[in-house]
Amino acid sequence: MRVAMITWEYPPRIVGGIARHCEGLAKALTQQGHEVHVFGLDFPGAPDYEEQAGIRIYRTRSEVGHPNFLTWVLLFNHYIEKRMADTSKLVDFDVLHVHDWLTAPTGIAFKHFARKPLVFTAHSTEHGRSGLHIPDSFTIDGLEWWSTYEASKVIVTSGSLKGEVCGHFHVSDSKVEVIPNAINPTPYEGSVDRGAVRARWGIQPHEKLVLCVGRLVPQKGIEYLIHAVPIMARRRPETKFIIVGDGWYRDHLEYLANTSGQRWRITFTGFISDWDLTALTKSADTMVVPSIYEPFGIVALEGMAAGVPVVASQIGGLTEFIEHDRTGVFVYPRNPESIAWGIDHVLSNPGHAEWLVKNAREVVRKTYSWEAVAKRTAKVYKEVIG
Amino acid sequence: MSLPSQPQVPEEFRVLSMMHNIGAVTPERSLTADELAQWTGMDPATIKAFVQKLREEGYVEFVQVSGTEKYHVTRTGIMKVLTLYS
Repeated sequence: MRVAMITWEYPPRIVGGIARHCEGLAKALTQQGHEVHVFGLDFPGAPDYEEQAGIRIYRTRSEVGHPNFLTWVLLFNHYIEKRMADTSKLVDFDVLHVHDWLTAPTGIAFKHFARKPLVFTAHSTEHGRSGLHIPDSFTIDGLEWWSTYEASKVIVTSGSLKGEVCGHFHVSDSKVEVIPNAINPTPYEGSVDRGAVRARWGIQPHEKLVLCVGRLVPQKGIEYLIHAVPIMARRRPETKFIIVGDGWYRDHLEYLANTSGQRWRITFTGFISDWDLTALTKSADTMVVPSIYEPFGIVALEGMAAGVPVVASQIGGLTEFIEHDRTGVFVYPRNPESIAWGIDHVLSNPGHAEWLVKNAREVVRKTYSWEAVAKRTAKVYKEVIG
Repeated sequence: MSLPSQPQVPEEFRVLSMMHNIGAVTPERSLTADELAQWTGMDPATIKAFVQKLREEGYVEFVQVSGTEKYHVTRTGIMKVLTLYS
């Protein structure tokens, strides 16, 4: 099949899980013999067109900008649509696959122009991410509804998100397919010099490293982890915390860290390279995922693959691949006391933590491969093509 | 489940976001503080103060063109902007 994948995030333009999802899916589909064309936005230093392991990647520059985000989104959609129209003179796509609302206008317009079936993957919803408090959110919510309406099939990454999409947008159950995220285990299979990695980040041999990775935005619940730091400092004074990622909420989180009385225990790294992130994950004593909204939670899956015991909020998609006290440890969301309990539980029982890691790795290896995701996605494509 | 209320987005982040949305994302597409003020409808002095802070944090860089500083969002700055919507 010839697939047009339309996404605003594709490496090296990486923010959250969408870029990694699209890359993993595109690679696996290509390996299974499908022809994948990825349409997305430009990024400084990345070529306008390239082929990577058989995947055709078209990065489009928006020639006209606008300070208002939504206006800018509609403008760049026009340019991507134009690029697709040009490409479609040479390539007869079988199916269009849009990831999230940001490129939905392109997919919807092209569906009607080219008379090709549209598949829409909802990675989250505006209602869940931010609530509907401002006009822009209502517009985004409308675009998300429109995407589910126009698509022949909607893919979501968890049962929790399926409930949200069906309930909020009144989409029929049979139209929505749950296909979970996956990860590439290869980067986590190599060994790292744990001592050297930890020393580089200021962690002494006797200290315990608690890692948290994610966009610094409210829905990731990192403020509750920061509130758990003083509790942990009393229970286990040798604990240190590294928070990887960046985002518009960072100033507020740094303010909370500064006023916690435990600032010296907390390091904010900002964005770091993939290699550094893998090395740091493999060198941590535990990974905490304190989200208060999490449609899937791919970072927890990465922690599980890296062999680090995961302590996560019992919420959303996380509840679908973590089993409490067998493959990870659940804590209550928005609850610093509970988060501290979870961290302490893992750090105080190294034998049990090792068992959790062994079980978690097994689950990841068996269930969350891109090969399996691509096969299930291709099945959806076949169904909509008819 | 939705959050009870949306916390305020910092003002300098709004400036960073606007710079990104109007396309000031590469050295050749850099804009002066006056041009940024026109685009965003903000006072040039205010823009300069925000841009200075964003530069210190690594989210904005400048190039000198005929003795004038022109600003653009860095790769890290772009990724930071995207966190608001991704």
